Amino acid sequence: MRKQLPPDMLARDSRFVRTSIMDQVMDPRNQKIGERDLGSARLQPERPAAADRARNLMHGIFTGEIQALEGAGRTTFDFDDDEAPFALKLDMARQCWDESRHVEISVKLGDWMGTEIGEYSEAVFLYEAACAPDPVLRLCGVNRALEGLAIDVFNTMKEFGDSSGDPVLEFCEDWMLADEVTHVKMGSDWLRRMTKDDPERLEKALEFQRTVDKLFSLGGFRGETEDNPIQLARNFRSMAGFSTDEIDEIAELAAQAKRDAEALVAGSS
Amino acid sequence: MADPYKPRAAFAPWDRRELPGIFSVEDSARRVGNYKWLEMRLFESLGGWVATVPELDVKLVLGRHCYHHAWHAELMDKRLPELREMDTDRLCEAPNPEMEAFVEALREPEAPEHTIEKLVGVFRVLLPRKIAAYTYHLNGTSRITDSPTQRSLGFMLQDEFEDWREGEMLLQSLIETPEEVDRATRRQAELEKLILAAGGISGPGSLGPIVATEGASL
Ligand SMILES: [Fe+2]
Ligand SMILES: [Fe+2]
Repeated sequence: MRKQLPPDMLARDSRFVRTSIMDQVMDPRNQKIGERDLGSARLQPERPAAADRARNLMHGIFTGEIQALEGAGRTTFDFDDDEAPFALKLDMARQCWDESRHVEISVKLGDWMGTEIGEYSEAVFLYEAACAPDPVLRLCGVNRALEGLAIDVFNTMKEFGDSSGDPVLEFCEDWMLADEVTHVKMGSDWLRRMTKDDPERLEKALEFQRTVDKLFSLGGFRGETEDNPIQLARNFRSMAGFSTDEIDEIAELAAQAKRDAEALVAGSS
Repeated sequence: MADPYKPRAAFAPWDRRELPGIFSVEDSARRVGNYKWLEMRLFESLGGWVATVPELDVKLVLGRHCYHHAWHAELMDKRLPELREMDTDRLCEAPNPEMEAFVEALREPEAPEHTIEKLVGVFRVLLPRKIAAYTYHLNGTSRITDSPTQRSLGFMLQDEFEDWREGEMLLQSLIETPEEVDRATRRQAELEKLILAAGGISGPGSLGPIVATEGASL
């Protein structure tokens, strides 16, 4: 088996349909939906499309969990002993088990919510971030940026479970949130440990994280206003090793991503 | 009332542990180093394969088992300094080049159509060998002086048995045609020959010296 498996080689059964994240973000129908201006974009049970949006989001979580499992697995394999410390590989193996459980939880939740595997398409952006050639970049791009996003998503879904009277959803999201805080903290701890004497590597990793954070603020998907379906979970992020300044920076990146996406859609229509 | 100061034997009548064991500190450390190396190579392989198998149930099982073997590597890593190996990398090695060649062959399949080959290597060749060698070590080492190694081997064996059963059941459910039976047995034979040449997971003597007794009939 080769080191560094490219994203197009991710193995899936016949139910899965692949798409690209840019196609999803740049879908012109998004603008039409935005123009309807139905008030807050947050997931609220009283909105007629709330159940469908939650099912769609849950399927996205499911495919994201598969890729998180694959990414952590590849990090145990892709690096020789002198490139990735033994303890880091142990953490990645532990993450494999956790992500494997998250896939199991997501399949059961999908069933519960009335969704079939493959009902929505899969973009492999999480795994793409897990293909960085430096393990520190992977931990920044995946554990800190994308699993940080997972913290925001799970917290939003947990609140939606609570407000819509779905104790199963709330229960599952709460457990996954606990694991995700652990994974983000792993990323924060390893970033600091491995770049202690290498400010250049630290800056490169943080730059990669910024790029991923901005890209996957998904044109206003995540933020701190009523326009953002996914809300930034400040308290859980600080538990996971983010400083207040770092959280502020993500909030700003998210706002910028929304402005950029609006400008892009306006320009292309 | 019973007299708490009445002398009692240090070993209760039902505690039949004996002092002698067949391994020295060095022998035990060498094996533990081999196990750590092997558990590492195994958890890395399972982690790497997760992305290459399309079968969702297999993917999830590989992710779970990946952690089991990482934990075994961690247990062995922690035991090494207690066996006077302060540099925990020194003995973390294959027992011989033949074992390295076996592991190289084990982790070679990549294509999504080769799940059977991947699983046969792990569950029909490697895990039975590990169960055998760990059991030999567990039974042969002193139950008093080396009980920390024994305790870890006990936990590891429990995982190995359960993982072996799960992997074997996956294989039985994946093998559907006589051709697939041939594929599985061919793969098993290839790898068995390699691990035979290595002498087992810690080299010749993995299961102890085989001493022939002249004229033995029983
Ligand atoms: Fe996860
Ligand atoms: Fe995670």
